[in-house]
Amino acid sequence: MTRILVSILTLLLISSFPVLAQTKGDTWRYEGPRIGMDLSRFLLPTMQSAKRNGWEIQADIPYKGNLFPTFEMGMQWFDDKQSTFDYKNNGTYARLGIDMNIVKFESLKDHDFVFVGVRYGYSVFNQQTDNIGTTNYWGTITTSLPRHDMSAQWGELVFGMKGELLPNFFFGWSLRAKFPIAVTKDINMHPYIIPGIGKTGGGTPFDFSVGVYYRFPIFRSKTIPKPIKMGGAKHPGLNNENDPNNPDYGGSQSGGSQNYNRGGR
Amino acid sequence: MRYYQIVISLLVILLGSCNDGNRCYDSVDTLMVTSISINGFKNVNTVIIKGINRNDVGDTLVNDASSSLTKRYPLPLSLTADSTGFVLNVNGISDTLYLRHKMIIKLISEFCGFAPNYVLSGSRFTAGIDSVKITDSKVNPQSIAKTTNDQNISIYFNASAH
Repeated sequence: MTRILVSILTLLLISSFPVLAQTKGDTWRYEGPRIGMDLSRFLLPTMQSAKRNGWEIQADIPYKGNLFPTFEMGMQWFDDKQSTFDYKNNGTYARLGIDMNIVKFESLKDHDFVFVGVRYGYSVFNQQTDNIGTTNYWGTITTSLPRHDMSAQWGELVFGMKGELLPNFFFGWSLRAKFPIAVTKDINMHPYIIPGIGKTGGGTPFDFSVGVYYRFPIFRSKTIPKPIKMGGAKHPGLNNENDPNNPDYGGSQSGGSQNYNRGGR
Repeated sequence: MRYYQIVISLLVILLGSCNDGNRCYDSVDTLMVTSISINGFKNVNTVIIKGINRNDVGDTLVNDASSSLTKRYPLPLSLTADSTGFVLNVNGISDTLYLRHKMIIKLISEFCGFAPNYVLSGSRFTAGIDSVKITDSKVNPQSIAKTTNDQNISIYFNASAH
């Protein structure tokens, strides 16, 4: 554990050098992988009657300026005591996907973006139910369902924002609609919560995520990523006069595709 | 944009804190819908149904004195045994019916809990009953919603005995 912490601190230190060396007149745009933690996983226990604990880390890396391949993974422990049964559901999950920025970066230092994205998720988990009580005319039974190892796959549509609050530190949120693709069958009960998906009780599960992120500024460039063309009619008069990528822009940079350098001086 | 983000974030958190009130809106009782009739279009005048060996006060499942060609009743099945026995007193004559079944416990929903689900596999009965027809062997919490001409089992009594 100590080694991991030392490694992370060393990496943070090394990756901070370009920022420390950054002078006031510097016009580099710094990019790099971003790693963060979903804070909403810590808020959930306070918002629900059942004990629902867990953590989730999220990471992305810029690709061609406006695309962000994303990896997320986490764990969840769910312990629910209802009036007629006790339910436990624990598991690990991961998601792979991509986010696409849908707004224009306004300057070299502007890293705030709004995104839409997709995810593919996979979860391995187990569920166990005890003290199931049922009563009718003939009497009462109390029974248990033993631990059952299960898995689930799903897709997600994501909409969200990330903004740079402090240099290299980001705050962001996302709303997610989740679409289960396959869940291991259980003759006695369909899991009403799945790690990575959340509650599956009725309709399309929705979820939200609020996170803080640190960006390792290991790439730099002098160009602002071009907005992704979404098609449609061109509007006259929008010549992007302030866009350094625009050939008509008065700056010294050459336009065209993004030109990243390694983060050294 | 940053302030905008924070405001929307708070709204998202509030939205996420909404829930459905932890209520159960589904049927939780598993009852076998049973129709009773007498061959030869003879009226069923009185019906009293009890569980077998259940003779205490309050153990009567059905006590119906209205007159009709066919009657329908929801009846509970045993939770612990693989068969359930009923004593059916129709027009003053008692008969016994045993139904064989398999039961599994199944989750209805998070807030409704579990309910037994049965599959009927056969029957055994005394001479006053002509036949028992299992029309839907699956007995679950949704069975109670069956419409007039739909039932789990139909019991036909001998006209000569009644």
